[in-house]
Amino acid sequence: MLAMIEAAEPAASGSLFTRAQTHWAFQPLSASVPGRGSDLASPGSEVGPLDRFVAQRLRAHGLSPSPQADAATRLRRMSLVLTGLPPTPEDLQAFVADHRPEATEIWLERLLASPAYGERWAQHWLDAVGYADSNGYFNADSDRPLAFRYRDYVIRSINQDKPFDRWIREQLAGDELAGWKPGDPVTPEIRELLEATHFLRNGQDGTGESDGNPDEVRVDRYYALEACQQIIGSSLLGLTVQCAKCHDHKFEPITQKDYYALQAFFYPAFPIEDWVKPNDRVIEAPLSGEHEAWLAAERRWENGEAQARAGLSGWKAEHQPPLKPLWEDSFEDPGSLGDRWSNTVPGEDQPAGSPPVSIGGSVGPAARVKEGVLQLIEGGGSGDRWLSTRQRFSWQPPLVGDWIQVTFDLVALKTDGQAQDSDRIGYVLATHDFADRGTQSGGNLLIDGHPTGASTVHLDYPGADSKSIGSIGGQGYRAGHNYGVRITRLEKDRFSLQHWVDGMADGTPLTLSASDLPPGGFGFELCCGRGFQVDQVRINTSPRVGTPEHERWLAYEGALKTQVQERDRRLAFLKAQRLPKPGRIAWVSDVHLEPRPVPLLKRGNPKTPGEPVEPAFPGFLDRGQKLPAALPVPHGRTTGRRLAWAHWLTTPGTPQAALLARVTVNRIWQQCWGVGLVETSENLGLSGAPPTHPELLEWLAAEFVNSGWSLKHLHRQILCSRTFQQSSAPRAEAMSVDPANRGLWRFPVHRLDAEGIRDLIIAASGVLDPKSSGPYVPTPRNGDGEVLADESAPGARARSVYLQHRRTQVPTWLVNFDAPSLVFNCTRRARTTMPLQSLSLLNSEFTLQRARDLVLRLDRECGVSERARIQRAFLLVCGREPDASERSASEEFLRHQLSLYTAHPDSNQRAWRDFAQSLFTLNDCLYLR
Amino acid sequence: MNPSMDFLSRRGFLGRSAGSLGFLALQQLLSRDPLLAAGAVAPAHRRPKARAVISLFQHGGPSQMDLFDYKPALNRWSGQPYPGGDLEVHFDKQAGNVLGAPYQFRPQGQCGMQLSELLPHTGSIADDITLIRSMTTGSVDHESALRIMHTGRFLAGLPSMGSWVLYGLGSENENLPAYVVLSDPGGLPVDGERNWSSGFLPALYQGTPFRSGKTPVFHLQTPAGISAEARRHQLDFITRLNRHQSERDPANSEWQARLAQFETAARMQTAVPEVMDLSGESAATRRLYGLDNPVTAEYGRRCLIARRLVERGVRFVQLFLSGQPWDTHDKNAERLKGLCAMTDQPSAALVQDLKARGLLDDTIVLWTGEFGRLPISQGKDGRDHNRHAFSLWVAGGGFKAGHVHGATDEFGYKAVQDVVSVHDFHATLLGQLGLDHTRLHVPHEGREASLTDAEVTGAKPVPSLLA
Repeated sequence: MLAMIEAAEPAASGSLFTRAQTHWAFQPLSASVPGRGSDLASPGSEVGPLDRFVAQRLRAHGLSPSPQADAATRLRRMSLVLTGLPPTPEDLQAFVADHRPEATEIWLERLLASPAYGERWAQHWLDAVGYADSNGYFNADSDRPLAFRYRDYVIRSINQDKPFDRWIREQLAGDELAGWKPGDPVTPEIRELLEATHFLRNGQDGTGESDGNPDEVRVDRYYALEACQQIIGSSLLGLTVQCAKCHDHKFEPITQKDYYALQAFFYPAFPIEDWVKPNDRVIEAPLSGEHEAWLAAERRWENGEAQARAGLSGWKAEHQPPLKPLWEDSFEDPGSLGDRWSNTVPGEDQPAGSPPVSIGGSVGPAARVKEGVLQLIEGGGSGDRWLSTRQRFSWQPPLVGDWIQVTFDLVALKTDGQAQDSDRIGYVLATHDFADRGTQSGGNLLIDGHPTGASTVHLDYPGADSKSIGSIGGQGYRAGHNYGVRITRLEKDRFSLQHWVDGMADGTPLTLSASDLPPGGFGFELCCGRGFQVDQVRINTSPRVGTPEHERWLAYEGALKTQVQERDRRLAFLKAQRLPKPGRIAWVSDVHLEPRPVPLLKRGNPKTPGEPVEPAFPGFLDRGQKLPAALPVPHGRTTGRRLAWAHWLTTPGTPQAALLARVTVNRIWQQCWGVGLVETSENLGLSGAPPTHPELLEWLAAEFVNSGWSLKHLHRQILCSRTFQQSSAPRAEAMSVDPANRGLWRFPVHRLDAEGIRDLIIAASGVLDPKSSGPYVPTPRNGDGEVLADESAPGARARSVYLQHRRTQVPTWLVNFDAPSLVFNCTRRARTTMPLQSLSLLNSEFTLQRARDLVLRLDRECGVSERARIQRAFLLVCGREPDASERSASEEFLRHQLSLYTAHPDSNQRAWRDFAQSLFTLNDCLYLR
Repeated sequence: MNPSMDFLSRRGFLGRSAGSLGFLALQQLLSRDPLLAAGAVAPAHRRPKARAVISLFQHGGPSQMDLFDYKPALNRWSGQPYPGGDLEVHFDKQAGNVLGAPYQFRPQGQCGMQLSELLPHTGSIADDITLIRSMTTGSVDHESALRIMHTGRFLAGLPSMGSWVLYGLGSENENLPAYVVLSDPGGLPVDGERNWSSGFLPALYQGTPFRSGKTPVFHLQTPAGISAEARRHQLDFITRLNRHQSERDPANSEWQARLAQFETAARMQTAVPEVMDLSGESAATRRLYGLDNPVTAEYGRRCLIARRLVERGVRFVQLFLSGQPWDTHDKNAERLKGLCAMTDQPSAALVQDLKARGLLDDTIVLWTGEFGRLPISQGKDGRDHNRHAFSLWVAGGGFKAGHVHGATDEFGYKAVQDVVSVHDFHATLLGQLGLDHTRLHVPHEGREASLTDAEVTGAKPVPSLLA
């Protein structure tokens, strides 16, 4: 048996520094090429160095490589590894028929030239460097709206095959390379360099929300800086540097001083005492003319939107039957606010809440009228206070079918000086008995309006008896729309509570009983830093049921629905043409020219700073190279430290550049084969796993460097090898010696990752969205709590790399297939097999929709021939034709399924849908083999 | 559940830990797969006292001195400057004077445990619980303190306690997830899904949230319009094709496991709704949990489901409240009243019910928040965060019954006697499950990661908590 897991070296034995002197990963590159063994090459096949290394090891254990896999399997393998997309049936047929000796190389070049290549490998890189579209750290997990520019930069760079050493220098010190300062003119090259620095801010950063005492705030700041170091450590150096934050590393030759000496290179960009919050680490760097083009486009959008709105308002004005409000406020008169609204409930004179809402004030919690709009200004802390009408209303319409509704225009989701939009828009019906002292229960019905999803409804809010009774709506709260609820009387003293948006019902209603709706006022909730602005508060009651006016209302509301749908279609069309504001870049640059002292923190504790530390390179790698710790920067406004560190890391011939090459090559290998030559791809240090093929890793790293750090060159070496092209079929004699295939005697069968499966299914069903850059596709939590891109939203079927990467909100479907919820970074994924995956494949709306799409594709491309349809479906999903037994099983299945659906007019569609969906669940779909 | 991992990544994931418990436990998990059942290994380090845990988590930091830790000095000094020296204050600009504790304390049960009048039902199980008054933790920040309580570490990204337990012990019911989260229909708790994340452990060890409503688990229901027969036939078709494809690679255990899981998934489709369906529970049971009272009904329903889950072999159940309701920065006294009215009866009912059914002996019920609160006021009538002392109670699973452990200073600010860190508590809890906290680890980022990280935290079990 091959030595699968070599015995761990005793970590504590000998000096770590002595061992580091000879540790394989810390040496300069020294590659050798193995001799050409005559028994290695099968007749007629040219075998390269990679295959010779593999064969050498196999031979030592009496094994030999497997024969070449069939052509279809090989093309599917190459396509999915390089582009993350399956080959088309046409490509499969062409490749199978291509008997040129260099066919593999030719097709490989086509794949490398495809834009999909950059998208696929960008996802791997973004994993390794901890990319996310949110800040993480705190519960808020606030948005990073500009991070996408870094994602696009990564995709572009990989597609251009930018020399990797240069690419790393850009990401560490692009601002210093650019020689640019704010206000200077910007070229596309400069902008690219500035976008690259986002690498340094990929880590979690809660400092935008940090609100504790000064010690806690300092800890939060250090966390962002330390996350940057940790990502550099594991993604570039293959080392776990963070252990040395508190003490000398126990298993690696990294001292605590090394840790802070490394920190000193990055500290000028993240100075703890002069901290810049993430939202302020942004520059405006539009290209010339870009801003003007954007302004013009924005004006087009605004005009179009205004027209669409005006059109609808006009229609409403013309068609809406007259209806006199029961109560209304347009907030024209700032002085009279207190006459109509109170900070308690109708009938009470003690102000409610602690502190109570100040009416007309400007320091929160307060409510005031400004420019004809009601501002609800919240003062932070906790809630339990509101602004309520002084008037009391009956919330129980008299007859079945009658309704009462309250609506308001939402002007803005924040007030002056508020950094972020409110995460709730709360309002309360039937307000009474604020302090919970009365005997009347029910009422105080809080609608906790959610900006992106359903709104929760709480009864008897606030206090101990407050309880959540469900949720309504689903459209979310956005500025510029009219919101509210309608209460309609049902039979038997029940009432429906329906979410009401822009004059129309939204979502499914809740049912209330009469005791839930005592008489009371209407109010807005002031809570938890959630300020917002509203206008046109109206309380309306319906015309009495049975009257002609009521009939007219019903007809009007039906027609309105059509009008609104038409307008929404028009708006969506206009919106799709909007451009993001150009030139806003979330970057990183030094805050000071003169670096501040960087203290070594005793025990890693920010409360116990020790001696200042100068920037220096870790001794076990540097070994006296005497490279400068700062380099001159063209514009002279930064310290040049990061530039120096980037140059140090990539200086040819050094141990550190060799380490960078090994770490990179090993991770690329891992993405091609499912497992790295060093399994612990985040750790090539003394405590990491040893490589299974040390000479091969060494040779590949040297190839990589000698090719000018070309990733595409590396891919050619790996994918064109006989080892990669060999069959994955088991062989009894090899299974008995090396069942885990550590010697690579066959291609290792392994499951695609989460994004790989999703993208494959979308592509196979023929509905891949062509999105290739720009802001993320939002993946909100829907009313059921599932995280996914809304099927009706633009980009819902874009490749997974363009989906929102929110740390705390990873799409449910992807999570089930081991997509990480990022904290630092993820240099390798787990690959589990669990029943939730079966459920997602069988029952999710996503797979069901794609199955329908695939059937439509078969309709388009194959007509009615059952044989042709089955054949093409297999080609699209599994990358091969069905064999006789699969074909007959499929025919049988379709026949039977059809018989079950005979009652349905679309029985044919249903049967084929079940067939298509079944294919998505097959091992031959989900696995690379 | 019948989880398994691909062989290569399993090896890669476990790295060089072969022989450590994690590996054995995983083998045991995998051995449930008939294809991998090559000699199941006894999973536990020693004979377990408990086989399941129910955590009733009280987000926000319940005020220990108003509920569990009687401090007469608070009322004597109420309104006066705090005489006890420096305090660590989170919202440092709102610190006030000593804030009295308005509710009466009374001795409860045979053991005479002093408990607040707000907790009459907890009082009725005083003889069944261990009350620890000397808990301490490492952060006064909610998120960090939650992570310490749930994962043992200040930072995000580590596996939760439930994940570790599952990793160590595996599952006892193949048709239900082994680690279930019952979150509040009102919304996620603070720090959301991280409270039950498997961190760097594979996703199969993460908590599975069961939501109230039609589909407790995502994608559980067969989509509308697909009849049971059509689905049955589809599953047969999938099995037939997958089996056929597997013939090419008969030793591929992962393929076999995946095949089996389509059947497991189908069984889950009935097992999950069954466990969530309370219609078979007696009127007396429903009353016990307060399902007849709107104030207690929702929390009580989840407590009752927790019992049903444990009854069916689920290993770890976590029950959460929406947001962080115990975070009483203002109106401390008033809010406590409401929160106790909601949680006291069902929490106690769970212990009583488990006991009556003979399940308490091997089930641990844990009632805790992430930290405690300060003896001084924040603003007019609130209490700020405190990491130097908080109280929790634990019942069953071999913990002492009717026992009070530890004590705080005169004002309840700081644990001073028989101090128990969160890490010590974790070590003790794992021990009761038959797991040695120093041996339940996996290699991660160059070292052995574990729940307690004893080398750094000095965690050790507390024998005096145990019967």
